[in-house]
Formats: sequence, structure tokens, C-alpha cells
Amino acid sequence: MSLLAASGLCVERAGRRILDDITLAADAGEFIAVIGPNGAGKSTLLRLLAGLQNPDRGSVTLDGQPLSGYDLRKLAGRRAFLPQGARCEWPIAVERLVGLGLTPSLPAMGDFTADDRARIDAAIDVCDLRAQRAQPVTTLSGGELARAMLARALVGDPQVLMVDEPLAGLDPRHTQQAARRLQELAAGQGKLVIATVHDLTIALRRATRVWALKDGRLLADGPVGEVMNPALLRELFDVEASVSGTGARAYVDF
Amino acid sequence: MKRHTRLVLVLSLLLLLLAALSLVTGRGGQWLALPSDEAEARLLRLILWELRLPRLVLALLVGAALGLSGAVLQGLTRNPLAEPGLLGVSSGAALGAVIAIYTGLGFAWSLSIPLLGLAGAFGATALTLALGGGGGVLVLILAGAAVSALMLAGTALVLNLAPNPYAAYEITQWMMGSLTDRSWHEVLLAAPFVAAGVVLLLSTGRALDALGLGELQAASLGVDLARLRRRVLLGTALAVGAATAVTGAIGFIGLLAPHLVRARVGHEPGRVLWPAALCGALLLLASDLATRVLPVQPELKLGVLTALVGAPFFLWLVWRMKRVAP
Amino acid sequence: MFARIVCAAALLAAAPLTRTPAAEAAPQRIVSLNLCVDQLLLQLVPPERIASITWLSRSEGDPELLPLAQRLPVNHGSAEEVLASHPDLVIAGRFTTSATRRLLQKAGVPLLEIDPATDWEGIRRTTREIAAAVQAGARGEELIAAMDADLALLRSRPAHAPVRAIGWGGAADDVPGRDTLFNTILETAGAINLGARATGPASFDIEQVLRVQPQVLLRGAAYAAAPAMRNQIAAHPALRQQHYSVITYPEAVYGCAVPRAAALAVQLADELDRLRQKP
Repeated sequence: MSLLAASGLCVERAGRRILDDITLAADAGEFIAVIGPNGAGKSTLLRLLAGLQNPDRGSVTLDGQPLSGYDLRKLAGRRAFLPQGARCEWPIAVERLVGLGLTPSLPAMGDFTADDRARIDAAIDVCDLRAQRAQPVTTLSGGELARAMLARALVGDPQVLMVDEPLAGLDPRHTQQAARRLQELAAGQGKLVIATVHDLTIALRRATRVWALKDGRLLADGPVGEVMNPALLRELFDVEASVSGTGARAYVDF
Repeated sequence: MKRHTRLVLVLSLLLLLLAALSLVTGRGGQWLALPSDEAEARLLRLILWELRLPRLVLALLVGAALGLSGAVLQGLTRNPLAEPGLLGVSSGAALGAVIAIYTGLGFAWSLSIPLLGLAGAFGATALTLALGGGGGVLVLILAGAAVSALMLAGTALVLNLAPNPYAAYEITQWMMGSLTDRSWHEVLLAAPFVAAGVVLLLSTGRALDALGLGELQAASLGVDLARLRRRVLLGTALAVGAATAVTGAIGFIGLLAPHLVRARVGHEPGRVLWPAALCGALLLLASDLATRVLPVQPELKLGVLTALVGAPFFLWLVWRMKRVAP
Repeated sequence: MFARIVCAAALLAAAPLTRTPAAEAAPQRIVSLNLCVDQLLLQLVPPERIASITWLSRSEGDPELLPLAQRLPVNHGSAEEVLASHPDLVIAGRFTTSATRRLLQKAGVPLLEIDPATDWEGIRRTTREIAAAVQAGARGEELIAAMDADLALLRSRPAHAPVRAIGWGGAADDVPGRDTLFNTILETAGAINLGARATGPASFDIEQVLRVQPQVLLRGAAYAAAPAMRNQIAAHPALRQQHYSVITYPEAVYGCAVPRAAALAVQLADELDRLRQKP
């Protein structure tokens, strides 16, 4: 039985099929890159898989149990979700932001326990934020904010991590850093990582599997080496592409 | 953490000080002189027990309710310009109370005044949140202004049609907000509702913290957004509605109090709640003292004073937001 | 008799009229825009000569005049209503709007504006002024004579310590002060007006009422039938505990500078006497 499975997902808005009969499954230890042109339905798919939106038809299950029946807080403890352009409205300190990730397990009142603080420290270390921990989040750079959000997603030690466009707006160094972290989480810590990406070279190098979406339909679902070929890319993006190199030096060229 | 407790302590001490001051100060800055004979002592006891003490208790209750609801609303809307008055709560409560008084219902059954005040507050808040809830801050503020206008129109209608010509004068005076001559009767009438509202509002702290990350992330952290909105709506209507029903419309405390304490608690909405309640009580008590001490004849109304202080602060806030925003 | 006519004519010439009415024909269609003028008119002239009085007279004012007042047409003070009743004399208080004034001038209708009086001499003056304008001078003197008789009655009564009284209807209400008819009536009836320490309008809160230690609270009873917060005056526990006597007085006419005010003073004096005799 897969960790996360979806069957027959359909979403319709104003007569248009945002998602059309999507069926897929994912397991722990995978790093799944969701690729596709703008408006393909990637963000919607992620929200459905996270249980933050209900499909018009079909269902999503986590460990065989449908998401619609899940207790909100239990679900929150098992999977973490980061939307596009995740930000914080209030200029709170980075360590407090990271601490927000513990919300599902915190009581209604009262501050962090020593145990909580240890977990926050660990997450801050993993995401390399020790120097910024007391800084207000609104003063962070794009890369630092992305790391802080990731730390907040990881602090609760979720089994599943879903991130919508984690690499958007990052410079090359931070892009590589972030991609490497995601890969580490899946391969090294056995989490299921699902991320939508536009950078196909990153997807090629780091992901283990690819879901290709176009116009709400799943065009391809398989290991990255198989799926990422020029024919698929042409069908997906309407551009001529070539895939070259192998392993860590592989790249996609347009 | 240490900062937070220290702030609460300081605020509580200031509150105790002002409370003591409030008990010994009368209109025109008269201090309570030590009684020289039995008759004067009796008078003193009467004044303290039947007039000054209920006034103090009411100031604390109402101020805390206003400050707290302002903090919660600012946390919910993620915007520092929100306050119960802006969302039409106060004008809705005023309309309800005014209807109770001028149809004579309020005298037949005194509980009807806070109850109708609550109904008005509830209706206005629900309408505002329904209109502008999901549309961003500007839409919410506009919705609140529209609902306020509707409530005020209703109040003007009652004014117009009231059979007693003194009604117009009395309503306008009452709507300026005052704690003068309130008795234990008013305290007992309002306190249960205010207490219930305060408890509800205090329970939203954790959810408001998560909401600072946006609705999607908050939902992903297990926050039931619909339930949160209901709690905020109900809590605000209970606390501010009942408070307005016994004191008239007092504005800007809900706007000011959270601002004065937010930076000191690190800006987290959940941590602002208790300090904002205390700060609101402090501000209202100080304003009430000021209306008693300032040599203004006739008596300066409480709501007028808070508006005179609060409106310029509001202007400054808007100006600062304009400066900071891109 | 002749002297009286000369006096009336002299007063007529001296009165602040904006337009001199025809001195020969007595006005037959008189309109009043003021409750107090209503009260006086009803006593001065027969009802056939009154075109309209204010709507307030139907519910406020001297109870003895109410049945008569309720039979007459009323106006609500608007210039249109006034003109529609084709008046040949309009009498109003000082605060007529300039729009009304101009309109009446254009229509050629004489307008008499009355200064409110606050003492007995002022009442004599105003009564004579109005009586002259409506050409009911004899009747006017009768009313003044009755007033003087009442005042003499009060002066002849045994003097007592003045009762400490204050006119208070709730924190929102103004307490009648020094230069008011209320004050005159109170003092004539044998009371001290505790609100007279201030000039101009003053508002008292309960604490201040307690501090001046009144014996009697005078509660205005205008529009008492319709609900208002002021009707709840004695409900506050602090006042209830003090067991002040509360006298209800007809507020609207306590502001009317008409000869009947003396009768009101006698009524008040009687009530104060009754209170004195209570243990």
C-alpha cells in the first residue's frame, strides 16, 4: 500500500476542467518533481494531495485512510505544506516562525517546552539559520526566508513534505542548496517529498520521480530517467528540448 | 518569554495604581476628603460603594473587552488597522440598545438592553465578515464602513421617530460614550456576556499565530478556519456588544491598545492578547480619569476623549503604513 | 379706561414689532409659534380668534387649558403651515428662523417676537406686550392681577427654613441655574435652588447631587408618557438609599413666562409644605 495515493481526482471551475481524472501513488523516500506548463493544475494538485482543498470527484488517501476523514491536527502532524511564495505577515523572530510549525502539537495556551525548543534548534541547524534566529522574518532575504519556511515545515518531523515552487526567485547558489536539501530529506531521511518545479535540470538531477501535468491531465508518471525525454518535453511545453549528460552532470537544454 | 511576563506585570501594576486613583477622584478633580463626622462618612461610603467602585469595575471590563477584541481582529485580518468599531460592531450594538430603550422595552425588562445590544453587534459583525471576509483588508474595511453606515442610518431613524423629543438629545449624548452614574446594575448586566466573550477571544491565540502565515499554511497546521472565524465573531459580539450596550460607543481603544504592546511581545498575535486586554483597561481607565479631572463644563464624554486621542493616532498609522508599503 | 388705552398705545409703539399691525382692527386670525405664547393666548382671547397654536399644546402645558387646546388647529412651526392659515398676526419666541421671518415679511404678515422673561416683573411686561398686540389689554390686566394675588398669598404665609431643592433629571440633563424662571418659581415657593451656584447650563452627575445634599429632587415631567432615559432618574441605588423626596413638576410650563407661573409657585409651595409635615 502506498503512503500517499490519489484516484480519479477531478476539479472543475466555471466549466473548465482544472484537473481531470488524476490517479497516482507515492511512497516514502521518493522525491517527486511535478512539472508542467503554467496553468496545468500543479498547485491545485498539491493542495488536493495536502487535503487543503476538496476534489469535486475522486479521493486522496494517506496510509490508506481518506483525507476527508482525517482529524485536522493529526493530519497536520503527518504532512507539511508550503504554498507558493510562503510568507509571514508579522515581523516575528525566525525562531518563533520555525516554532509555528509545532502548532498541531501545542496546547491551547502556554509557551514552548524544553523539548519543543530542542526541536526548533534542530530545524534551525538543518536549514543553516543559526545566525538569523533572532532576526525579524520580514528583514530576511529571499533565500533566507525560503530556508526559514522550510525549517518551519520540518520542525514537526512530518512524514510527507509538499512544497509548491520552493525554488522560485532564488539565486543559483540558494537554488542548488534548496534542491540538495529536498533530495536529502527524501533519500537520507526517508520522507516523501513532492515539489512543483520549473527548473527541469534540477528535476533531472535531484528528483527520483516525475509527474508531468498538462491541461489538468497526467501526461506521464514514472522514474525521472524515463520520463524526462525530448518527446515528452516537446508535448508538455511545446518547445524543442534535449536531455544530455548523466547523473549529477545531466542537464536539459532548450 | 521573560519580556512577555515583565510587560504583563508592569501593566498590572499600572492598572492597580490607576484603579486606586480612580477611587479617590471625583468630578472636577475633587479628592475624597477624610470624613469629619458620621454623616459624611456615610456619604463617603455610599459614593465609594455605589458610584466609584462599579464605575471602576465597568471601566476595567469594557477596556479589556475593547483592547482584546481589537487585538484579535487585527490578528484575524492580519492588519493593524482593524478594530471592533471599524467592523461595525459598536454601531450595531448601539442600534440594538437604542431600539430597546426607545421602544420602552428596556424599561419593561432591563436585560433586553444588553441582549438587543448583543443582537445588533452580532448582526453587524456577521454582515461585515460575510461581505468582506475573504477579500483582503481594503474590502474588509470598506465592508465595515458600509455596515456602520447602515447601523447609523437605523439609529437616525429611531431618533427621528421616537415619540419623546428629548430622545434625540439623549441618544446623541449616550452614543458619545460614558461611564458616569453607572451602578452595579449595569455591571451585573454586562459582566456575564463580556466574560464569556473574553474567554472565547483568549482561546483564539494559537490559531491567530498560525494564521500569520496565511490561510493555506494555517489550515495545513491544523487550524479550522471556519471555526476560528465563528469564535472571533461570537467573542467580539459578546464582549463588545454587551460593553457598548451599557456604556455607549467608545472607539479607538481597540485600535490603540494592541499597537502599544505589539512590539514589546515580538509581534506574535497570540502573545498580544493578554497585554492588549490589560492595556485597553489601562487606557480606558486613564481616559475616564481624565474626563473627571479636566476642567470642562459640561462634562467631557468618554467616547469623545478617546476619539480625540485615537483619531490622530489612526491618521499617523495610515501615514506610516503608506510610507512603509511599496 | 382712557388711560389704559393710551398706555396700550404707548406700549404698542415701544414694543419690538417688526411690522406695526393695524391699530384699529383687532387681529382675528392669530398664529402662535411658541408653547408659552399658546398658553397665554388661550387665556387672553376667545378661541375663534386663534388660527393655530403649536402641536406641543395638545399634550403639554397647563392641564386646565388642555381641553381647549386640543380643539384648536395646530402647526409644527413651518412657515408654509403658518402662511396657509392666513394669519393677520404671528407671535413667536426669539428663536424664529430668519427664513420664516423673511417669508412673513414678504407676505405682509405682522410678526411679534417675545423675549423670554425670567422673573415676575418680566412676566408683567411680556403679558402686557402680547395683550396689547392682540388688543385684549383688559383681560391681560385681569391675569396679572390674579398673579399678584397669588404672590401676595405666598408672601403672607409663615416663613420656614427654605427647602434645599435641585432640578435634576439625570446626568444628561441640564440643571436649571440662576437666571431662569425655574429659579424664580422655586425661590418664591420657599426653596433654595442648589443648581443656582453656576451660571449657564451645568450638568450634575449623581456624585455631585449627593454632595450638595438636597432634600428634594425636582423631576421634569415633559413627555413623561413616551419612554426616555431621563424617566429612570430615581432608579440608581445611590439615590434610592438616600430616600430623597421627588417632586414631579410640569417642566414645559416652568419655562413659560406667563401669569399662571405664580399659580405653579403656589402649587409647589403647597407640596413643599406637605413634605415638611411628613416625619
